[in-house]
Amino acid sequence: MTVTPKPAGGVGMDWTSMGIGILIMIAIIGGAYIMFGATSVFYALIGIIVGGALIGFGVHFVPVGGAPAAMGQAPGIATGVAMLAGGAGLAGLFGGAWAAAMVPSPGIWVVCMAGAVGGALMMAITCMFVNVIYVYAMGIPAASGKVKTDPITGDTQTEYKSQGTEGHGLPFVSFVGGVIGGFLGGLGGTLIYYMLLENVYTDKALSDALGASALANVTPIAVSLAGMFAIGLFLVNAVLAAYNITGTIEGPHDPKFARWPRAVVATAVASAVCGIVAIGIVAV
Amino acid sequence: MVENIVLGIGLTAMAGALATVAGAAEDTESDIGSQGDPNSQVQLAPQMGYVHRIFNKAIAGEPPAYGLWVALGAGITGALLAMGVNVILALIIGAVLTTLVQGVYATTAYLGRIASLAKFGQPVYVDILKSMTTVTMAHAFIAIFTTVAMCYLMNAALGHPFPLALLGVVWGIALGAAGSATGNPFYGKERQYQNQKFGAGVPVAASGNIVRYAEAGERNSLDNGWFTSKLGGPASGVCFGLIVFLELWRTVVFEQTWVWAPIFVGLILVIVFAILDRYIETWARATYGPYVKEASS
Repeated sequence: MTVTPKPAGGVGMDWTSMGIGILIMIAIIGGAYIMFGATSVFYALIGIIVGGALIGFGVHFVPVGGAPAAMGQAPGIATGVAMLAGGAGLAGLFGGAWAAAMVPSPGIWVVCMAGAVGGALMMAITCMFVNVIYVYAMGIPAASGKVKTDPITGDTQTEYKSQGTEGHGLPFVSFVGGVIGGFLGGLGGTLIYYMLLENVYTDKALSDALGASALANVTPIAVSLAGMFAIGLFLVNAVLAAYNITGTIEGPHDPKFARWPRAVVATAVASAVCGIVAIGIVAV
Repeated sequence: MVENIVLGIGLTAMAGALATVAGAAEDTESDIGSQGDPNSQVQLAPQMGYVHRIFNKAIAGEPPAYGLWVALGAGITGALLAMGVNVILALIIGAVLTTLVQGVYATTAYLGRIASLAKFGQPVYVDILKSMTTVTMAHAFIAIFTTVAMCYLMNAALGHPFPLALLGVVWGIALGAAGSATGNPFYGKERQYQNQKFGAGVPVAASGNIVRYAEAGERNSLDNGWFTSKLGGPASGVCFGLIVFLELWRTVVFEQTWVWAPIFVGLILVIVFAILDRYIETWARATYGPYVKEASS
């Protein structure tokens, strides 16, 4: 049986579209600099853009097999790209937001790493259970359809593919890809949350915007706003990256992984547009 | 501080137990309604000439659907709590009202999806609509109630800063993601393609030829729910329960000692799961062996 990777199609960059997107992003960054100067609000926008790009990049690592995986016809996790990345990234955001609420504040690194590890842990457990089901409930070993040997373990894959399928289960490289994807998703989502919470939805800004008399009253609103925008931005970026992948991907060894630069640019532009809206509701 | 940690561990265990029940109910509900990826085969079968009596309400993936339902349940519960309603009553009313929304969703989704197959001779079975919808609603109630209760524990007892509705979105989507990832292959391959060889994937050429007959009469989705509740459901429950329990446990127990401690514990847990995964993978290769003697190029 021949290992025939699906056509990688569309790896190339559409420079006209990319150029227009980058111009929009530069215009938004420039506009924000003119409006706010080199203040914490401006750096929040940069943080949101970086966080969005991290999510877009991270989604490409997540091994998603979609409907064919549910029939053991293709490797990967049997669900949608954006959905799985969303689940992992939001589980990470849960951990990051919890760390951010500590008194005294533990700082950006602890908060972001708490989010990243939360996402990675969710993916590690989920990926392991995918193999538990395939191996112990269905009697099917893991096999990749895109490579002859696992790039990490060196295990041969071709002879473990059952007839008429592209492979099944999660080879170890896909497991590692899933964990990295969860890590980057959790990191990006939490960075967006932290930037909005600490730099934009500050007590003073919200008090001015809402006219609240007691500063303490606005903290739950700040947390809710930052959480909602972080979840929203996460889903925007995960769905954009999923469109870039078009269907299924096995992980970092899949030829489709090479499409990530396009997604990183697109998610950065989308994050800039959404980010300036999130900032604008209180800072303008 | 010790008492706080002990109380925290107890709450963590309870949240993990609630999540386990939620995961099992969620997967069984989605399998009865064919809401996961296997819905593609339920939809494909009539187009290939295989008319069936399987329920199909897949107009949204499990994660967004459960994100909506759990957030709705959590939002209603939060509103009732703000009005001073008793916690247990608020949780029950929130879950009941959300289940009614799920019932409307299931009904319209089934009618819409199956009616679109009329040109292939697939009838809309009213008895299927009547009997399956209520069963999915019952399972959805369990999943929504337990997940919202878990979110309430996180918010009110463990002190997570997110409001109840936001926690509902986060854990609803995570519940759907964990349930669909773990449970879908078991329903899709092991149940719908029970006529195919055990221990191998479904050949692409067999797509659409799902099993349509039961021990007596035609198979329906209650038979599928009975089958998947024996393994796919509980496995999804353990998966989601572990996610929730370990996420809370590493924070509750280690946060007080050093701010970096939960992060390092999380990394160690990731490594432990990687080792377990690798063991499972090599065990399968050694035990089942290759499908063909040697790889041809």
